[in-house]
Amino acid sequence: MAKSKFTTAVLLLVGMLGVVTAQAEEAEQIFNFYCAQCHGVEGKGNGPNVTEDFPVDPRDFTQAEEMEKLSDADIKNVILEGGPIVSKSEMMPPWGKTLSEEQVDALTKYLRKLCNCVGNAD
Amino acid sequence: MRFAVIVSFGLAAVTLSMNNTASADPAAGEDAFNANKCSDCHYTRGPAREKTIADQLAKKGPELWYAGSKFQQPWLEQWLQDPQPIRNMKYNSVTEENPGGHPKLAAGDAASVTEFLMSLTSSDVEAGIIKPKRHPMGRLIFVKKMPCSGCHQFPGRKFTGGNSGPSLLHAGTRLNPDWIYAYLKNIDTFKPVRAMPNFSGILSDREMQSVAAYVATFE
Repeated sequence: MAKSKFTTAVLLLVGMLGVVTAQAEEAEQIFNFYCAQCHGVEGKGNGPNVTEDFPVDPRDFTQAEEMEKLSDADIKNVILEGGPIVSKSEMMPPWGKTLSEEQVDALTKYLRKLCNCVGNAD
Repeated sequence: MRFAVIVSFGLAAVTLSMNNTASADPAAGEDAFNANKCSDCHYTRGPAREKTIADQLAKKGPELWYAGSKFQQPWLEQWLQDPQPIRNMKYNSVTEENPGGHPKLAAGDAASVTEFLMSLTSSDVEAGIIKPKRHPMGRLIFVKKMPCSGCHQFPGRKFTGGNSGPSLLHAGTRLNPDWIYAYLKNIDTFKPVRAMPNFSGILSDREMQSVAAYVATFE
């Protein structure tokens, strides 16, 4: 009986880990598809659009001290509404008509993973 | 006598021209399209098939099921014979540059394939709405208000655009101005999964028309 419970618990854990891994992979795919063109696949703000005369420096998501200043709600707002909603550049477009709520949530979590930080306002 | 010769020559030219038009055969063009293995990378039957990012990433080249509404025929026929990269980055990549090397077609096949591709039109593209114009509103939106220039090369003075999207240099000879507007207005119809935001509902109809008119002037 105890062995059966143990097996069930292990299977549940493995299943949950599988779901978490799949979600993480999906978030990375969303980031690489939409965001990396300006922010780079490592999130350092050095995507292929950022040429010498690119008018702004896209945010480096690995800079924890800067990312900590933004709450998760701030991050979601910028993704949905574009840079001007937080007085940043128009070069960050509004993705609100393109990405689903789930995709924006996944991206927000992924950015927190890149900066290895939480928002001070959260 | 001289008049008669001129008239005869003119009639012959008209007849030849009509014969050329009459000989246009999209079905033969489709055979040439398949024989040249274009179908290995491009699909030509709409509507759009992609539902997920993985679907889009699995494609080797752009969909062509609305090519006849998107492209200008003279440009397409010429490009198929001497294809120069339109994208600075490899298709679907943000890390690899476009290596070029799109297969070339001989003149006869290029003409034939062009006939086929130009027969592939979309009812979502209404003709005669957009006239190329260096529209100040279009320029302002393209360069500043919305970040079109962030991803698309364009004939700018100092900043000449980003690299991730298709270059819009020569868009005035490559693209149908009415398609540019239709694409902005109904982007999900043409390309449900792409790295470009949907601006419909963010830009007004008039603003989208001004952007299309502005892009259609790019040389």
